[in-house]
Amino acid sequence: MMRGSTIITALAAATVGAVISVAVTGTEGQGQPPRPAETPDGRPNFNGVWQANNEAHWDLEAHEARAGMVMQQGVYPFEFSRVPAAPVLALGAAAGVPGSLGVVQGDGQIPYTAEALRMKQENGENWIDRDPELKCYLPGIPRAMYMPYPFQISQGTDKIHMTFGFSNAARVIHLDDVTGPPDYTYMGHSVGRWEGNTLVVDVTEFNGRTWLDRAGNYTSESFRLTERFSPLSADAIWYEATITDPALYTEPWTIAMPLYRRLEPSATVLDYPCIDFAEEFMYGHLRREQLVRRWEGETMIVEITRKVPPGDSLHEWYRR
Amino acid sequence: MKRRLLESFSVATVLACVMVLMQLTAVPVEGQAGSTTAWGHPNLEGIWLDVYATPFERPERFGDRELATEEERAAQDMARMGNEGRNERGGDGRVDVAGAYNAVYTSAKPAGPRTSLVVDPPNGRVPALTAEAVQMNEVQREWRLMLLRSTETCKVGGTGCRGGEFGEASPRRFDVTPFYNTSRMNRHDGPEDQSSGDRCMSGRTPDFNGFRRIVQGADSIAMGYDTGQGQGFQRIINLTGDHPPRQIRLRHGDSRGRWEGETLVIETTNFSPKFPFRGSGENRKLVERYTRVDADTLSYEMTIEDPTVWTAPWTIRQELKRQSDQENRIYYEPRCHEGNYGLPALLIGRRLDEQKYEEGTGPEPFSLDTATCVNGLEGLDD
Repeated sequence: MMRGSTIITALAAATVGAVISVAVTGTEGQGQPPRPAETPDGRPNFNGVWQANNEAHWDLEAHEARAGMVMQQGVYPFEFSRVPAAPVLALGAAAGVPGSLGVVQGDGQIPYTAEALRMKQENGENWIDRDPELKCYLPGIPRAMYMPYPFQISQGTDKIHMTFGFSNAARVIHLDDVTGPPDYTYMGHSVGRWEGNTLVVDVTEFNGRTWLDRAGNYTSESFRLTERFSPLSADAIWYEATITDPALYTEPWTIAMPLYRRLEPSATVLDYPCIDFAEEFMYGHLRREQLVRRWEGETMIVEITRKVPPGDSLHEWYRR
Repeated sequence: MKRRLLESFSVATVLACVMVLMQLTAVPVEGQAGSTTAWGHPNLEGIWLDVYATPFERPERFGDRELATEEERAAQDMARMGNEGRNERGGDGRVDVAGAYNAVYTSAKPAGPRTSLVVDPPNGRVPALTAEAVQMNEVQREWRLMLLRSTETCKVGGTGCRGGEFGEASPRRFDVTPFYNTSRMNRHDGPEDQSSGDRCMSGRTPDFNGFRRIVQGADSIAMGYDTGQGQGFQRIINLTGDHPPRQIRLRHGDSRGRWEGETLVIETTNFSPKFPFRGSGENRKLVERYTRVDADTLSYEMTIEDPTVWTAPWTIRQELKRQSDQENRIYYEPRCHEGNYGLPALLIGRRLDEQKYEEGTGPEPFSLDTATCVNGLEGLDD
């Protein structure tokens, strides 16, 4: 029967794959079945739970550690002596931002046009009001790839599906020929191909509403990128993305970083269902009775003033 | 926007034209599914949809009969084409607005071979609720009717107020809701008073109506659901490992799959109480079975149990039809939340109503029915 022979062929192929994996890897979790380094048809096996382990989600560019996610002038007038500002003051030393050598290749700077650079700086100064992450909006690509949440790759026959912990977001990389989305998207339209051992993905059809990090680096509707996923080992992928957006950048630029396999035997992606996590932040001011009050007694009284710049109130910014 | 709308129309047209008769087979046809994945598993990949409109529970006239006759299906299609109430207008603008999603915006599927999705119990109806669940429903119903007391809906005895009475606004109207609310109520103190749908969180597991995209990896299967006006969601079915500890509670539960011959069997537990399905929260347990019947058909069966809600487990069955991969008509990015102008608008509207009332230029806010669309309270937790 046709079916039986197909299964036997597949099993034989899987066995070959398994033999290769023993030669290449050796890193299997306790009690887990062996994970072949390659698919039966000889492609890298990217199945599993992955996560970046760096500071790119804070700022793609090289930066030194900062005392607070939101800062204000302290006692001194110097830039390096700024202190945490009200929105994060209650968090103490947990409110800071770790330093990083950055992931932007070349001189480490994003080649903004002069006008776009001004907007990026303004974005950074208005981070709380403008960053879509704080509202639990879909993170977009490439940002989803290096947010501090795991994601799972399910590598299918003609599709590679990535499911992200943050906001239950997902992307499908089409290895076959498909029609694009009927409208621009947050997560883009991903079309992939294999170049040897490297998965190359062109991502287009963006709506220009996504950001790249928490530092105000942003995109426009002409944003597009080409990603390259290359196996470093069975448990690490070298990830590169070359970004093009003539409306914002003077030339294409590239980010690069490793993505690591989560090797815990029970590694899984737990959903971070943040829509209602962000409700108080987004809609709290519309309550009949506010939840945030001045605290009393020994409890810290923090008066948080969020100045929303003109034109930046809820939805106005995204409606631009 | 125009581009998207045009696409929607063409989808509707395609659906309307898919009046093909499905050949039901009781037993999976061996050898016709034709393929395995690269990983040697039976191939379930693709975009799948229940292309028929099938009642969830079986109308009593069908008794224990699972399948409808050709004549019964044709009669149902005729009745639907007549589309009773399609252009009903109310004298009050509010009623018109409530009917914003009229027949033009809701696609109609043809009647299918099944008389109901529920196939077990054999009468095709969800088993009786437990006393505990009946009491919880009564608490919810009483609460929602209490908030409607002083509305026109109750004054005129509208269906939305059925079981309630007209009177002065209740002194309990500002109390904390005595249950975790997920449905519309006639109060808008904050986001918690709105329905899950208003808050872009209506997607639930299980889901029977939407598109499903299945991508099969070596040790996981991804299922993307496109359902409920941009309120779809992603599920990961892990083929290895065990359910996480009890204290981990997830919106769509934790799904572990295994192969029993040609059938994918998925067990899902660890559900969160925040996202109930028909009143069932954290005690829900699902067993789903997917079997490829032929090139274009996937048989789906789901058994749900929650001894705190139903007196017995129950089962639904569907035949899902493969959709064109090339046309790729599925939204894997549910973006209701990103464009949710409705939720803040509801809250702003209520604050303005309160302000007008205080200034003496508007009615007492609780005398306005902003919950039932006059016609009836929306279903509880569905």
